Amino acid sequence: MSYKDVLNKLVGEGLLTPSGEVKPHRLIYVFESGKIRELFTKLIDLAGVEGFYVSTIVGTDLMKDGKIRLDYYVVFLPQEETIVFRTFLPRENPEIDSLLDIIPGVLSGECETYDLLGVVFKGNPALKRGFFVPKDVYEKGIYPLRKDAKV
Amino acid sequence: MAITKIIEIPYSLEIPVGPQHPALHEPLLLKVYADGEEVVKVEVYTGYNHRGIEKLAERNSFYRDIFIVGRVCGICNTVHANCYVRALEQILGIEPNNRAKYLRVLAMELERIHSHMLINAVMAEIIGFESLFMNIMLDRERIMKAKEILTGNRVLADYMMVGGVRRDINDEKKNKLLKLLNKTEERVKYYKQVFMEDDTILKRLVDVGIITKTDVLKYSLIGPPARASGVKIDARASDKYDAYDEVPFNVVVKKEGDSWARMILRWDEALESINMCKYILENLPSDGNPVPDEKRLPRRFPPGEAFTRVEAPRGELTYYVMSDGKPMPYRVKIRTPSFNNIINTANVYLGHSIADVPVILVSWDPCISCMERITVLDLTTGERKRMHLKELARGGRKWVSPRYSI
Repeated sequence: MSYKDVLNKLVGEGLLTPSGEVKPHRLIYVFESGKIRELFTKLIDLAGVEGFYVSTIVGTDLMKDGKIRLDYYVVFLPQEETIVFRTFLPRENPEIDSLLDIIPGVLSGECETYDLLGVVFKGNPALKRGFFVPKDVYEKGIYPLRKDAKV
Repeated sequence: MAITKIIEIPYSLEIPVGPQHPALHEPLLLKVYADGEEVVKVEVYTGYNHRGIEKLAERNSFYRDIFIVGRVCGICNTVHANCYVRALEQILGIEPNNRAKYLRVLAMELERIHSHMLINAVMAEIIGFESLFMNIMLDRERIMKAKEILTGNRVLADYMMVGGVRRDINDEKKNKLLKLLNKTEERVKYYKQVFMEDDTILKRLVDVGIITKTDVLKYSLIGPPARASGVKIDARASDKYDAYDEVPFNVVVKKEGDSWARMILRWDEALESINMCKYILENLPSDGNPVPDEKRLPRRFPPGEAFTRVEAPRGELTYYVMSDGKPMPYRVKIRTPSFNNIINTANVYLGHSIADVPVILVSWDPCISCMERITVLDLTTGERKRMHLKELARGGRKWVSPRYSI
């Protein structure tokens, strides 16, 4: 099944909503944060384990909107087409289910996003402060990439 | 299985992406748990040199950030700058002319050649061939010289700018570059043969640190480690950025998936890159000045977001840049290839002997700048001793010069 068919199917099932693009031509699909595991489990079923890889997780603090935006950049093979799966979390107490047990490659991205932005990936036992942030910063409870953080 | 030894290996790795961004050219700690000589568990510890480059980028202007991201990594600074500059060009809607695109590719391919030569030299040193290490590094100097002729500097090039490059080349420089490339090609072919035929190298690398195609994709591995396991991924071929749609090249893929395949693949890629550089020099377009006038570049960045990929020597490097219309970027996210390739590969060491740990680590190309102070803790006797990584690679035996070993 080509990646376009996979995406159309997931859109048809109501798991994804098309929402513009990141330049150059990276299509964005928005999903509900509570359905992340359902989404990626179906993605593995449809595209196969060898059909894609998670390239990176980009967290952005949208302070004015009171949200944290989480983008999963997924590269579909063999075309190497990059697709953005986007979701929004509340800025206070941001939580989302971890994908670590179904896609081990998200380990580095989840640990980094937790340490720098404070997004909790529920079910990831490797989350810890100090993964990258120095001790003097994390001891004060600061997440450096938050827009109001002074480091 | 009783755990009898703990080995702590605090690596000093050269920094690629700063404090806000980890990745691997930083000091890194691998905690290796061993049963006898067999590795049973590996934990990766990071955070020893986080420089906060992503936060720093949010506090500087779009143009100043070009120089900041160029300092994320010394070895692959032109690919970092290229990836960031192309993200800015996407937001601005600017495209450089063909000559600038060709020169960008030339600079990046020279970087790939010297980076691959460097890691193969480090591998030679790790497994005990110090003369081979020195010979490869000596030949690598030709490429550093070539990079200096092209960009004006042998290491930090600062060559990329929005809308083009900072320097053009003339026929004299072109000829000098071709001579250097021809000499290097002979040597790279010779080194590849050494890595293909030498018994000791084969014994140390073949079947060590095998990773399957499925695991490569599950663990999001990229670049040469992925291609050496049969996964054909290469941002140059898929995104066709800059002049990669016009410069002919082959994506080298191997099926073995072990440390040897990863090193040989790098020699093959270095040869491909030499051919690409020669093609560029012989077919350099003349469609205008590749150096744009800085005073005419746009000062305002419209709101928008861009995600660019580049095939760095170590694999896919990505930049996400978001502009909210203000003079400084709202968000810059850097993901270096080593970030995936090192942190996600703790399981590959399992079942190998302690002496294979450095070999496997180096085969990922983690850009190690300094390797010192390995602590071996024997759990049965409580004895703790420190040794160098090279010593560990020799199974804990101290190196003795052949002159004194008779």
